[in-house]
Amino acid sequence: MKRIIIGAAFAALAAPTAALAQDQCGEVTITQMNWDSAAIVTAVSKFLMEQGYGCDVTAVPSDTTPAMTSLSENNEPDIVTELWVNSAGDAYQKLKADGKIEELTSVLDPGGVEGWWLPTYLVEAHPELATIQGVMDNPELVGGMFNNCPDGWGCRIVNDNLIRAFNLEDSGIEVFNHGSGETLATSMAAAYQSEEPWFGYYWGPTTPMGKFAMTSVDLGEYDEAVHAANQNADAADPKASSFPSAPVLTIVTKDFMGTHPDIADLMSKVTFKTDTMSQLLAWKEENNASNEEAAVYFLKGNPEVWGSWINEAATEKLSALLK
Amino acid sequence: MATYDFVFDGLGLRNWCGSSGDDGGGMTSMAQLLAETSDEDVVASAWETPFPSMDALHEACPAFPQSRELTSGLEEGFLSIKDSLKVVVDPLTQPLSWALNEALWVMQVVPWFVMIPLLMLIAYAVSRQWKLVGLVAICFGFLGFVDYYSYTMQTLAIIFVCAITCVLLGVPIGIAMSRSDRVQRTMIPILDMLQTLPPFVYLIPLIFLFSVTEPKLYGIAIILYAIVPVIRLTDLGIRLVDPDVTEAADAFGMTKRQKLFNVEIPLALPNIMAGVNQTIMMSLAMVVIASLVSAPGLGVLVLRGIRSLELGVGLLSGLGIVLLAIILDRVTKAALARINVSQSR
Repeated sequence: MKRIIIGAAFAALAAPTAALAQDQCGEVTITQMNWDSAAIVTAVSKFLMEQGYGCDVTAVPSDTTPAMTSLSENNEPDIVTELWVNSAGDAYQKLKADGKIEELTSVLDPGGVEGWWLPTYLVEAHPELATIQGVMDNPELVGGMFNNCPDGWGCRIVNDNLIRAFNLEDSGIEVFNHGSGETLATSMAAAYQSEEPWFGYYWGPTTPMGKFAMTSVDLGEYDEAVHAANQNADAADPKASSFPSAPVLTIVTKDFMGTHPDIADLMSKVTFKTDTMSQLLAWKEENNASNEEAAVYFLKGNPEVWGSWINEAATEKLSALLK
Repeated sequence: MATYDFVFDGLGLRNWCGSSGDDGGGMTSMAQLLAETSDEDVVASAWETPFPSMDALHEACPAFPQSRELTSGLEEGFLSIKDSLKVVVDPLTQPLSWALNEALWVMQVVPWFVMIPLLMLIAYAVSRQWKLVGLVAICFGFLGFVDYYSYTMQTLAIIFVCAITCVLLGVPIGIAMSRSDRVQRTMIPILDMLQTLPPFVYLIPLIFLFSVTEPKLYGIAIILYAIVPVIRLTDLGIRLVDPDVTEAADAFGMTKRQKLFNVEIPLALPNIMAGVNQTIMMSLAMVVIASLVSAPGLGVLVLRGIRSLELGVGLLSGLGIVLLAIILDRVTKAALARINVSQSR
C-alpha cells in the first residue's frame, strides 16, 4: 500500500515535466553569450521554442571563442546566437568552409555598431570634438587618453591600425589598453557619473550604450578594402576608415538543421532591430530588471513582431499571448 | 492572490500597502508569462510555497521593497559616498602607484646583461647554492630566448613591489593578532573573506574611486589576496613560541619590546618565512587576474592566448609563469632552510 502511494506521488510530481518536454522536438542547446543583448535574444528564443514548439531547451552560458571551439570540437551547442563574426576569427571561417555550420540570419538588424565614442555632454559643450581631427587638435578636452580594447579582442587589431593611421599618439593622446571588457565599461561609467571626459572604443547594443548618451566620433568614410586590411595585425600601411555595422549572426550546426527544420526556420526569423534592442537594454537598466524580465517585456509588448516568426502550430499554442 | 497576503492583513498593514495587484512598473516575470500562456489558473500547492523573501512579500504588498531595490540602494549609496571616500583613500594608496611605476621603469631600463647577473647574485646571496643560481640563469635565459624577457621583468617587478608591501603590512598585523585574542577573532573572518571574495567584486568599485589607468588598482588586487598567508603564519609562529622560553625572558627582566624583537620574532622566523614564501606564490597566482585590470606582464600574454585561441602563446606564457614560480619558490625555500639551520645550531 505504502509503495503505491509513493508511486502515485512520484507520478503526480513527474506529470507536469512530462507535459512540457514533448517528444516531437526533444533537447535543444543554445548559447547564452555573457553580454546583455545576447541574454535577451536567448531568453526570447528559449521561450518560443519551449512554449511554441515543445522543445526542452538548455541555455549554455558561453562566449564567442569558447562557442567556436566547442562547435568545432564537439558539434555542440546546436544553436549559436549573437555571434559577432568579426571577433570569431579564423575558427569561424574554417567551420563555415568545412560545411559544419549554417548561417541562418542576422540576429541584429542592421547589425552591431562599433566606433570611437565620446560622452554626448562633452560633444555638446565642445562641438568641434565631433570629428577625429577635432579630437586630435584638442587632446586635453578628451582627457588625453584613448580607451582601447583588451588584448585578444578583434577590435584591438583594428583600433591599433587606426591609431597608427591617424597618428593618434603624436597628437598627445595616450593609448590605454584595457585588460578586460569589465574595466573598459567601468571606466566609461565612472567618467560619465562624474561628467568627466572619456574617449574610447565601444560597441552596441550593450547596456552601457543604452544607459549613457554617447556620440560616435566621425572617423571619416567607411572603405571596405581599408577596413578589411585593418583587420590584420600590424597592417603594412594602415589607412583611416570608420566602422561598418558589424554582422551579428545566428548559426546552427548542419546536423541540427537536418533534424529540426522547423526550429531552424524559427531561428532564421528571429531578428531584432538594433534600435529595439538598445531601447530594451535601456528599459532594463532604468527598471533594474533582469535579462529575463527584459525578454518578457519584449514578448508582452511586441506580439506582432514575434507572432510573424512562429509557425501555425506554435501560433495556436501561444494564442493567449497573441491576443 | 499572493501567498503572504495574510501577513499584512493580520498586522493591519493593508492600508500602508496600498492596493494589491499592481505590480511595480508593469514588470512581469517569466513565471507570470508562462502562467498566461497556459490559460488555466495556476493553483499553487503547499509544496510550492515560496520562501518569505522580499520579492514574495512585495507581491503581497506593493509598498514592500523588492530585493532589486536593495541592490540599487547599495549602488546609489556607494556612488553618493564615493567622492568623500576618494579624498581619503586616494592619497593613502598613492605610494603604491609610485612604487609600481618606478619598479616597472627600473626593471625595463636596466639592460638584460646587467639584470640577469644581478638576479643570479641575489639568488646566491639568499640561498648560497650554486645549483639555484644555475636554475635562475637557465630560466631567465630561456624566457629571454623566446622573447618574453620584458614581459617576465614586468611581472617580476609587480611581484617584488606587492610581496614587499605584503610583508611590511602583514607582519605587524600578524604580531598584533598574536598579542590579542580579540584582534585575532576579528581578523580571521576578514582574512577568510579576502581569500574567497572574487576580485572583480571589489575591483569594479575601486575603478569608480581611482581610475583604471592607475597601477595601484592591480597592486591592491594582488596585495589583498596575497597578504593573507604572511599574516596567518606570523600570528601562528609567534603563538607557537615555547612558553618556557618567554618565561625565561621574563625572568631576565626583558621589556615587552625586547622580548618581541629578541626572542619571539627570531623564534617565529621559520614560520614567517614560510608565510612570505606563500605570499610570493599567491601574488604570482594573481598575475593573470591582475592583467584583467590592465597589469602588464605575462598575464597579458596568457589572456591574449586564450582569447584569440592562440594556444601556443597561452601555453608558453603559462610555462613562463610556472618557471618564475619555481625560481621564486626554490630561492625563498632555500633561504628558509638556511634560517632553520642557523637556528638549530
